[in-house]
Amino acid sequence: MIVTVTLNGRPRSVACAPGETLLSLLRRQGCFSVRFGSETGETGAAAVLLDGRLVSAEVLLAAQADGHEVTTVESLSDPGGELHPIQRALVEAGALQSGYSAGATALAAKALLDRDPDPSDAEIRDALSGVLDRETGYVKVVEAVRRAAAALRGEELQPVEPIVVARLAGAGDDAAPVPPDAPAAVPRLVPSADVPETAVVGKPALKVDALRLVKGNPVFTDDVELRGLLHAKVLRSPHAHARIVAIDDAKARALPGVHAVLHHGNTPRVKYASGGQSWPNPHPWDQVCFDDKVRHVGDRVAAVAADTVELAEEACRLIEVAYEVLPAVFDENDALAKGAPVIHDEPDSIGIVDAGRNVAAHIEGGTVTDIDAVLAGAGHVFEQTYRVQQVQACPIEPHVTIGWLDEDERLVLRSSTQVPFHVRRMLSPLLGIPAKRIRVIKPRIGGGFGAKQEMLIEDIVGHLVLATGRPVRLELTREEELVSSRTRHAQTLTFRTGVDHDGRLVAQDLRVVANTGPYGTHGFTVQSVTGLRGLSAYNCAAKRYTCDVVYSNRPVAGAFRGYGAPQAHFALESHMDDIARALDLDPVEFRRRNWVRAGDPLDIAPRLGERGAVEEIAPEDLPHVVSCGTEECVAQALRAIGWSRRGDPDWRRPPDRPSVRRGIGFAFCMHGTGIPLVDMGSSSIKLNDDGSFNLLVGATDLGTGADTVLAQIAAEVLGVGVDDILVYAADTDLTPFDTGAYASSTTYISGSAVKKAAEAARARIAARAARLLDVEDAGEIHLRGRRAWAADGRSVSLEDVALNSLHTEDQEQIIGTASHVSGDSPSPFAAQLAAVEVDVETGEVTVEKLVMAVDCGVAINPITASGQVEGGMMQALGYALTEEIVLDDAGRPLNARIGPYWIYRADDVPPTEVFLVETLEPTGPFGAKAVGEIPIDGVAPAVRNAILDATGVAIDAIPLTPERVWRALQVAAVHT
Amino acid sequence: MATVSRYSRPASLAEAFALLDRPGAVVLGGGTTLNAVASAGPIEVVDLQALGLDRIEPLDGGAVRIGARATLQRLAEAEGLPAALREAARRELPNTLRAQATLAGTIVTADPESELLAVLLVHDAAVAVSGAARTEVVPLAELLAALPLSPGRVVTAVTIDATGASAVARAGRTRADRPIVAAAARVGPDGARRLALSGVAATPVLVEEPDEVDPPSDFRGSGAYRRALAEVLASRAQEALP
Repeated sequence: MIVTVTLNGRPRSVACAPGETLLSLLRRQGCFSVRFGSETGETGAAAVLLDGRLVSAEVLLAAQADGHEVTTVESLSDPGGELHPIQRALVEAGALQSGYSAGATALAAKALLDRDPDPSDAEIRDALSGVLDRETGYVKVVEAVRRAAAALRGEELQPVEPIVVARLAGAGDDAAPVPPDAPAAVPRLVPSADVPETAVVGKPALKVDALRLVKGNPVFTDDVELRGLLHAKVLRSPHAHARIVAIDDAKARALPGVHAVLHHGNTPRVKYASGGQSWPNPHPWDQVCFDDKVRHVGDRVAAVAADTVELAEEACRLIEVAYEVLPAVFDENDALAKGAPVIHDEPDSIGIVDAGRNVAAHIEGGTVTDIDAVLAGAGHVFEQTYRVQQVQACPIEPHVTIGWLDEDERLVLRSSTQVPFHVRRMLSPLLGIPAKRIRVIKPRIGGGFGAKQEMLIEDIVGHLVLATGRPVRLELTREEELVSSRTRHAQTLTFRTGVDHDGRLVAQDLRVVANTGPYGTHGFTVQSVTGLRGLSAYNCAAKRYTCDVVYSNRPVAGAFRGYGAPQAHFALESHMDDIARALDLDPVEFRRRNWVRAGDPLDIAPRLGERGAVEEIAPEDLPHVVSCGTEECVAQALRAIGWSRRGDPDWRRPPDRPSVRRGIGFAFCMHGTGIPLVDMGSSSIKLNDDGSFNLLVGATDLGTGADTVLAQIAAEVLGVGVDDILVYAADTDLTPFDTGAYASSTTYISGSAVKKAAEAARARIAARAARLLDVEDAGEIHLRGRRAWAADGRSVSLEDVALNSLHTEDQEQIIGTASHVSGDSPSPFAAQLAAVEVDVETGEVTVEKLVMAVDCGVAINPITASGQVEGGMMQALGYALTEEIVLDDAGRPLNARIGPYWIYRADDVPPTEVFLVETLEPTGPFGAKAVGEIPIDGVAPAVRNAILDATGVAIDAIPLTPERVWRALQVAAVHT
Repeated sequence: MATVSRYSRPASLAEAFALLDRPGAVVLGGGTTLNAVASAGPIEVVDLQALGLDRIEPLDGGAVRIGARATLQRLAEAEGLPAALREAARRELPNTLRAQATLAGTIVTADPESELLAVLLVHDAAVAVSGAARTEVVPLAELLAALPLSPGRVVTAVTIDATGASAVARAGRTRADRPIVAAAARVGPDGARRLALSGVAATPVLVEEPDEVDPPSDFRGSGAYRRALAEVLASRAQEALP
C-alpha cells in the first residue's frame, strides 16, 4: 500500500507493507534519529510528533499515519545550520549522555513548549514521562527543558556552571550554606586549595559529540544502510535446562530468503568465556558458540540469516528441536546442595573449579588464616546474612551488531560494545580466522553499563557473515536484552564482624555465595571485587574473604556498573548500621572510628587481585590511601539532607499523617579506579595544518562523556580549546589499543595516556617553536591560546608551527603517542544519604531526597561528572526498590518487559543533590580519580538504613518492594 | 509485534462492520497494545480513526458521553470530566503512548491493574457496543466480565455519571508505576456510594466491601498482600470523599 504523510513539512508518498511500523518507514526515509528501544514503545526512543502530539513510532503502523503530519528531530535544524533553542538547551545543560533518545527528548520538549511556553516542573516531568533514560536520572534533562522554555520566551540565560561551595569540615557551622535557589542540575563544587589553576580541565566543556547527537545524526550502530543486508534472529531455549537430542533445520533452510542456519551441528566447538577481559581471559571457559545443551530459558539454540527479520523469525520457528528436559536449579544455595542438577557435565570445559558441585570459581584470601580465632577474642561479634537480587542494566539501545566483508574480504563488525579490542581478539579462535582479518568499530553507543563488556553476539554475526558472504545485522529484542544478555550477580552474603569495646573493628569475615547463572563469564572477577569492596573501607587487622561462584539456570550474570561492589556495599553498609544500633552508637560516628583515611594501608587488595592472591606482603609493599575527601563529603552530605531532622519527632511522625514514618539513612562508599597493572590505555595525537589536532584513542565512550574528558585533557596540555581536538575512538584498525570502558578506568588510565601523548606532541611543538622564535631552550616555550610563547612574550601560532613542520623545513609529522598502565587504583570516596517516607499500612517507600557527595579527585568536567552521579543514583534506586528479574518455577521470566520490570521515569524520580569534593590525586591526570561507578554503590544501603531509621525494622534483602517492607513491618508489629 | 496482512480505514460504521466480517479482522484503536504484541496469526486491522468517534459531550442530568476513540490524553485534558477520572487517564500510560491509546482500547484490554477502569466503574460507566444489526448499552462491570467482545462488535461510546465526588487511593512500587492495588470511591448527589478495586481480580471490579475479593498472586504482590491493600486503600479513598 501507499502511505502519504507530511514528513517534516514536505509531503511524501511511500510504499509500505500493511504491518510496517512508522519506526521502520521513517528509518527507511533516512530519519535515523527515530530509534528502536522496545517492541512495546515503552522506552520512547522512537517517539515522534503526529500532528504535533508525541506518539511512539514503534507501536504505530505507518498506515495509521497516512494523511497526517509527522515530525522528527531532523526538522529542527538544517545540516550545518543553527541548533533549535531546545537542542541548544539540551547541549548546554549537559542533558545528553549517550544521546540515543536525544531526538525523542527534543520532540517531547517541543510538543510541550508549543502548547505551553511556561510549564510547571510537574508538567515538564509529565511531558518527558514516556522517554526513558537510564543515564542522566533526568535531572539535567528537566533543567534543559526549563532552559529551552526561557530561551523561547526570550529571556537571558545564565551559563551552566557548578556552584562553588565553601569547605565545611573543620569550619563548624560558620560556612555559608548552599543558596536555596541553586538549581539541582548543577553540582556543588567544593574546591581544594591543592589544585592548581587550569584553563580547560575542571571546566564544564560542552560534549564533543553533542552536535551530532542532538541533531539525531546517524551515529549509532544501526544507523547505516548496506546493500544486500541480511537480518539475523536467534532461536532460544524454552527450557531452563535441557539436552538437545536432535535438531533438524531442513525446513528452515528450504524457506526462500533464508541464507544460513547455524547450530551445534554445523559450528565448530571452541571453548571460551564471553566476558570482555584482558588476555588470557579468566577461567572458566565454559561456553561454545552453539552447544548441544541449553542451560537457561533464552539460551542460544540456533541462529538464522534471512532477507527480512520476519523471514528469519519464521525460519527459527521451522527449526525442529527435540529436547530432553533436565531438572533445573535457580537459587545459588540450592545449586550447591548435594544432589543438585549438574549444569556443566561436559568433559571439555576448561578451568571450572568443581563442575560436579556447580562451583564455577572459588575465591579465598585475607590478612589472617584463622579468622575464627580472632572473632573468638573480640568483645562483640555480629553475624548477619544479606540477599541481593539479579537485575539488568537496561541500556535503551539493546545489543546490536552489523557485520560485513570489506573490499579486502576482511570481516568488519560495527558493534555496540564497550570492548572492541577484546572482541576482536576473542572472536579470532571462534571464527577460525586470524585477528588481523577482523576489524571491530564502536560507533556511538546507546548505553552499556557493563552489559556490553561482553562478546555477546558478535560471534553469531561473524559466523553468519562468513557463511553467507553478505552483510548481516543482529539486534536483540527488549526481552532478549533482559534475559539473554548479562545481569548483575545475585548473591547471598554473610558478614561476621568482631568489634572491640571502643567500637573499633577487629575482625571481618565475609562469605559470599554468588549466582553466575549457567556461564562463568565475569564470575571470578566480579566476585573478587565484592571481596575487595566488602573489606577495604574500614581499618581492621583481621580480614577474611571466602566466595563460591555458583552455576544455576537463571539468566547469565556478568558485568554491570559497580561490578560486585553494589552487592558488597549493601551488605557492609547495612551491617555497619545494625552494629551501630546494637552498640548504641551514632551510625556516622561508628563508621568514622573505622573508615580508612589518607595514609592507611589497603591490605586486602593485593590478596584478591585478578592476577592471583598473595598472602605474605610486607607492609611497605601494600597500596595506601593517598587522596581522601571523606570527611568533607560526609559533612556536606549530612547538611544537605538535613541529618538533624532525625531528632525531630514531628518530622519523623507527621501528626497529620498517621501512617507515615520518616527517616534518613547513610552509606559510606569507596570504589577503585581501574584494575592495577591490567587496565591499559593508549593514545596518539597529531598536529594538523591549521593547528588543530586529531586525538586517536582506543577508549570507548558509552555516552559517559569520556571522549569529551579526554579532549579536555589534551586541550589543556596543548594550549588549545576543546573544539581544536578532533576525537576518533575505538576502532581496532585506526586507533591504538585500549582495554575498554570498564572498571571506572577511562578518565584515569586512558586520560593519563592522552596526557602523556599530548606532552610528547607538545615537546615536538616546543622544539620547533623555539627554532622559529630563535630561543635556545625549548623548555621555556609554553602553549596557550593556540600559540607557542617564549618567555619574553613573543609567540608563534600553532598553525605556523604546523605549516613549518609539514611543508617548509626539516619536515615531520608532529605526533605524540603514549600508553599508560598504573600500579595504583586510587579510591574515590563518597557519602550517600537518603531521606525516605514509609507508609506503614501499605509498605510503600517513597524516597524524598538523595544526596551524594563524591571525592573523585579533580573532576575534569564537573557537569559530565555530576551527570554520572545523578544517573548512577537513579539506576541504584531501581536496585534498591523495584528491579528484579523474576522467574516462574520453570525458569521462565515473568517480567521481561520494561513496564513490569520498571525503570524510573522522569515523573517518578526523587530530587537529588550532588557535591563534588575536590582532592588532588597525585597519580591521576590533573588530579582525577574515577566517578563512573561509585554512584551506584550506596543508594540501596542508604535507603535500607533510612527505613530502619524510620521504623526500627532492619530488612536484609532487596529490592525493598512494598510487599517485602509490609511483611517486615507486620512481623515487627509496626502499626499506625 | 502483530502480523498485519491488511490495513483498512473505513469511512463509515457500516463499512467498518463489513470489513470486520472478514476472517481475521480486528478493530485497531490506537495500536499501543495491538501493535505491541505478537498476533496468533495474520490479522486484518480495521482502523476506526476516520469515524469521528472521539467527541466528549455533556448530556442532561450530569452525564457525559465519551466517544470510544477519545485518546487518554484527551480524557486527561477534558475539563468536563471528573478530576479523578482525568488523573487516572493521565496515570494510565506515559505521555508517548497516551495520545495514541484510546478509551475503547483500554476497556477491551481490561488490564486487571487499570486504575482508569476502576474510576469508570464508580462513575457507573455504560458502554455502547455496536454490531451491524444493533447497538446495546452494557454496564462496564458486565462488559468486563464478558470479554472478549464477540467478533464484529465495536465499542462506540462510553457514558458516565459525572455527578457527585470521586477519589482514588493507590499503592505501587513507585509513584508513577501502575498501582498494585487501587481503590476508587464515589459518592453520588443522592448519597449513594460506589467502590471499585483494581489489582484484586481478573479485571477491575465493583464491590460492596473490600474484603469480598480473593485476589490472585503475582510477583508484585501476593493475594494476601493485595487483600490487605484493598482494605487500607478502600478506606483511604472513602475518607477522601466529602
